[in-house]
Amino acid sequence: MDAITVNHLNRVFKSTDGIIKRKVKEVVAVEDVSFEIRQGELFGLLGPNGAGKTTSVKMLTTLLIPTGGTATIMGLDVVKDAAKVRPRIGFIFGGERGLYWRLSGLDNLRYFASLYYVDEKVAKKRIPELLEMVGLKGREREKVEGYSRGMRQRLHIARALLHDPEVLFLDEPTMGLDPVGARELRTTVKNMQSANKTILLTTHYMFEADALCQRIAVINKGKIVALDTPEKLKENVQDLTVVEIELYGISQDRIARIKALDFVVDVSVEDRDQRQVLHVHTPKGPEAIPVLVENLNGLRLGRIITREPTLEDAYVRLVGGTEN
Amino acid sequence: MLLAFEIELRQNMTDGFVLFGILIQPLIVAFMALWMLKGKGPDYAIFVVVGSGMTGLWTTLLFNGGNSITGERWTGTLEPLVASPASLRVVIYGKVLANVLQSLLSMIGSYLLISLIFGYPLTLSRPWLFFISLFVSVVSLVSFGLILASFFILIPDFARMVNTLEFPVYILGGFLFPIALLPGWTTPLSYILTPYWAAVALHGAAQGTLGTWQIVGTWGIMLAFSVVYVLASGRLYRVILRKARTDATLDIVGS
Repeated sequence: MDAITVNHLNRVFKSTDGIIKRKVKEVVAVEDVSFEIRQGELFGLLGPNGAGKTTSVKMLTTLLIPTGGTATIMGLDVVKDAAKVRPRIGFIFGGERGLYWRLSGLDNLRYFASLYYVDEKVAKKRIPELLEMVGLKGREREKVEGYSRGMRQRLHIARALLHDPEVLFLDEPTMGLDPVGARELRTTVKNMQSANKTILLTTHYMFEADALCQRIAVINKGKIVALDTPEKLKENVQDLTVVEIELYGISQDRIARIKALDFVVDVSVEDRDQRQVLHVHTPKGPEAIPVLVENLNGLRLGRIITREPTLEDAYVRLVGGTEN
Repeated sequence: MLLAFEIELRQNMTDGFVLFGILIQPLIVAFMALWMLKGKGPDYAIFVVVGSGMTGLWTTLLFNGGNSITGERWTGTLEPLVASPASLRVVIYGKVLANVLQSLLSMIGSYLLISLIFGYPLTLSRPWLFFISLFVSVVSLVSFGLILASFFILIPDFARMVNTLEFPVYILGGFLFPIALLPGWTTPLSYILTPYWAAVALHGAAQGTLGTWQIVGTWGIMLAFSVVYVLASGRLYRVILRKARTDATLDIVGS
């Protein structure tokens, strides 16, 4: 049985403007999204900011009612059977909110255990185990307001696991963490998967999805634009080479000119301190470099390299180079 | 519910705004009322203690009980709370109970101020009836708070609207002067407010101005209100939570 099934899910947000003549504005956040996640699978939902990842997760965690379509968790409908779904899922939303800062980490866990009707004896045994697992042992009696961002995020993980849920939703869990904290958290996620949990992970970090997920759905502007294993997604760009050009102060006009070249499939720009790095996807390989340099005439250029495409390049191609 | 009660209590103890509402504001009210009502009969000091205590109780119920939902929005814990299997109604009942019981400190504070600092003799005419009235008042006010809190879930900006409710209820509830001084058309409004009946019972038992059966009658009215509020809250919370999930207002922090 699939742990999660999503069928043609839609979510439209409405907002009104004006006092006398009220204008209703509609924003489609999720449009006709469908996928299934097998039990024990670690599934990634990858997309740029505002793509519909969090909205999808909120619908699956019973916090939002879809405007169309259906979704089930372990065979239970997320709208009709919301009360039965809730004890079987755990979730973390990225960032530092969702905890009581004026209480200790231990009190937070005790409180959430009671909200999930975890038996007191079970909670007394499980809370120290979880604190050990997330590396907060010894700091549990300190107030959360004194925790670092990484510690709070790890406390979130412990909170989500208190009732031993079958399905976990991790919405950008490494957002804002330093590299060490993010690596530790990824190890924790990997361990959770080893414990046969079904995990839906949303992220916009490609390497994170590549390292952790068995399958990835790429979502852009509310729609699923690709769904496959990381290897298969990479195959979509196997025919291409990426030319990376370091430069300073490229204008939008110049980017548009590069994009318009007939051998260029996609272009994205990454900011690195004062420099920019232009990523040009092309089937021509190193032969494209002289023409590209000619079109960048007048700009100060740095290092130029060619490389094999990565999952990130596949992603950029799928979402149309919107992510810098 | 008990853990929600404990957690709320412990959070309040570290919140300066809450402590001000419970301890300082009622003392200011008591101080002013003491001078305003000076010479209005032999029992006026106990009237001030009960009345200023009632203002503390109402302020706490209004701001801290309801605002605990706003607090949950600010900390981002409203969503985990709603998505947990626990009944939100029961959790909120525990939180409001913590706030109301804590606010009784305001009555003790007023008592100490007037008795020890100003040296007024304070005696409760009918202590047993007073303490039972206090218990029934707490039950009825907590049940009322349950209804009030539901609007904080539905409307992210409700915290701003409740500012307008503080003083009208002080006046309509007859906390510091009888409602007979008000225009006749306001009396029905007082009758539908459970804080009014709490004030009638507490003033009546403290000063001995009401007979036993009259006080028991106010208990009956308060308990009837409580039953109505608790029964209505079941349906109300279902409707409000569904609407909040439809309108996507659970994660919105009011301005």
